[in-house]
Amino acid sequence: MELRPAEVTSILEKEIEKYKGETSMQSIGTVLSVGDGVARVYGLDDCVMNELLEFPNGVRGVALNLEEDNVGCVLLGDATKVKEGDTVRSSGRVISVPTGDQLLGRVVNALGDPIDGKGPLGTTAADLRPIESPAPSVVEREPVKEPMQTGIKAIDAMIPIGRGQRELIIGDRQTGKTALCIDTIINQKTTAGGDPKDPEQMICVYVAVGQKQSTIVDVLRRLELAGAMPYTIIVSASANDEASMQYLACYAGVAMAERFRDEGRHVVIFYDDLYKQALAYRQVMLLLRRPPGREAFPGDVFNLHSRLLERAAKISRDAPKINPRYKKGGGSITALPIVETQEGDVAAYIPTNVISITDGQIFLESALFNAGIKPAVNAGISVSRVGGAAQIPAMKKISGGLRLGLASYRALAAFAQFGSDLDKATQQELTRGERLTEVLKQGQYVPMPVEQQILIIYVANAGHLDDVPAKRVTEVEKAYLRAMAEQHPEVAEGIKKTKNVSDSERAAMDKVIAAVKVQLNTKAKG
Amino acid sequence: MIVDAVTARWAGALYGLAQKQGALAAVVADVRRIAVEAARPELRRVLLNPRLDVATRRSSLDGALRGAHALTQNFVGLAFDRGREEVLVALGAAFHRRILEEAGEVEGVVETARPMTQTEVDRAAVDFGRVLGQKLLLVNRVVPEIIGGARVIAGNRMLDGSVSGRLDALKRRLLQAPLPG
Repeated sequence: MELRPAEVTSILEKEIEKYKGETSMQSIGTVLSVGDGVARVYGLDDCVMNELLEFPNGVRGVALNLEEDNVGCVLLGDATKVKEGDTVRSSGRVISVPTGDQLLGRVVNALGDPIDGKGPLGTTAADLRPIESPAPSVVEREPVKEPMQTGIKAIDAMIPIGRGQRELIIGDRQTGKTALCIDTIINQKTTAGGDPKDPEQMICVYVAVGQKQSTIVDVLRRLELAGAMPYTIIVSASANDEASMQYLACYAGVAMAERFRDEGRHVVIFYDDLYKQALAYRQVMLLLRRPPGREAFPGDVFNLHSRLLERAAKISRDAPKINPRYKKGGGSITALPIVETQEGDVAAYIPTNVISITDGQIFLESALFNAGIKPAVNAGISVSRVGGAAQIPAMKKISGGLRLGLASYRALAAFAQFGSDLDKATQQELTRGERLTEVLKQGQYVPMPVEQQILIIYVANAGHLDDVPAKRVTEVEKAYLRAMAEQHPEVAEGIKKTKNVSDSERAAMDKVIAAVKVQLNTKAKG
Repeated sequence: MIVDAVTARWAGALYGLAQKQGALAAVVADVRRIAVEAARPELRRVLLNPRLDVATRRSSLDGALRGAHALTQNFVGLAFDRGREEVLVALGAAFHRRILEEAGEVEGVVETARPMTQTEVDRAAVDFGRVLGQKLLLVNRVVPEIIGGARVIAGNRMLDGSVSGRLDALKRRLLQAPLPG
């Protein structure tokens, strides 16, 4: 960053002008013990829960355990700089992070400090928000009814996500969980143009918890290449950050998201991942000597996630009349938490907790991923409990029965491997399922606009691809979408505009797919 | 000395009882003797050694308890019987704090860059005591790092009127100040 002396001078002038030489009164304490990123402090009589504490050498901490004769706090910096007997000062404010437009395009840590080398954020004290804040009340919310397009065919068609929904992405390592997040972020540019000032543009917040720094760099690079950073904030608490930072990062991210939501904007936040956050929380709480429960997690590990995910909501248009916190109603926070499973065990402690909190889950399966089916969505146990209401009518009409059909196909396909004779109906189901699977395959970093998804899912679900060899489905799909764009661009435009599909549009799709099939068959024969 | 919650409770009970029975002066004198003994590391090694039996550990305080008031004797006996002999280590500090509390006083340190005269210390005690709402018993400590002004530390409160404190505050504000444009 270029340092301009004139700027520094002007700041100094303002600060000196405003400076009041007041004597400050602070509550102080003494460090009794310090170790493993946790300190016990004697004193600090007026300390409140989650208060930011100032240790010597610029190290900060957060008060988490208020006990009779000491305060247990986690250190948010280099613990080696703190020693027994050091004086600790209370700051008089609970831990807060900067929020606002200045954060867009930036990478910050769990305290909201920029870590991307692009200089200060330029936010003011008025932009600070406490990381813990109450979730919107019942009267401030409204039902989830607007779609949040991910650009991924398998999700938008089978497990639709609405604005304000909490949809869990769950799966083993290396099943494409982070890839789904990146594609969804990129798709927000496809959907609304990518101008962060446009009120229709979704703001994206990606919270990386316990990730490798190389992964975070890769995500950043991918988003920059796709031009998705101008409307995105990355909150990073990587694997080498203190456990306390990893545990707080999710709350910092949602506090930043809430600022936009309260201004009537739509935000989608990704927590990657909550299992690692729970591990960090467990570490901190065990060091603070809170009693361990199942799998040594503290008793409030459910609340750790429920109070975080409850902050995702669709806000009603009348909310500003009820609560002045909302400058404009109608905003939303959609939460897409990720939970990594071990050996596909979705019945483990943390996965079941988060499944029960969220409004559905997208289960990514290693076996499907290894079989080349990407995204590796298991249609059988993936579900969206509220998203159906948020699908656009056109998608709702043409994708009816798709998820159940595909789930049934997977069960049948496993059964058919035994080689027994199959009746015609079963064979038909297998043929359709195989084609649908091919159609729902999608490359990474190429999210598809919803109107195009509708064009291809319609022909696959209506059986137009049943006579196409499974290997050639992708080729036919490409040719068909190209032909539709060239011959009937009005169909996609119409769907985009009306959000519905008419009989004449269906007829056009029927006509074009038939022609494409003939053309490709002729080509193959020739 | 740091007084833990258990010691504060035990000391409070002894203080209350002594006050009720009009034996406060005698008990205070006993507690001061115990505190002097408990400050000796060799005595602490015996007093808090779990490998030694109770009688041996108890006998280490015999000198301090010779001629002590019955309440003090009972207090020490009960502490050993309940396995709370660690309260004896900070008993003196807890008692001292309680006495100050009763008198509405608080001890503190006034830190300055250069030594203060007793008149200055007394004036500082009055001025800062008014801010804290308590009667301050101040001693002066010279800390050249604070550059100028004064810093008062009393109990768990700090009143910072030092130059270094103000510079720190200015530094924090400058770091948070938005860039122009």
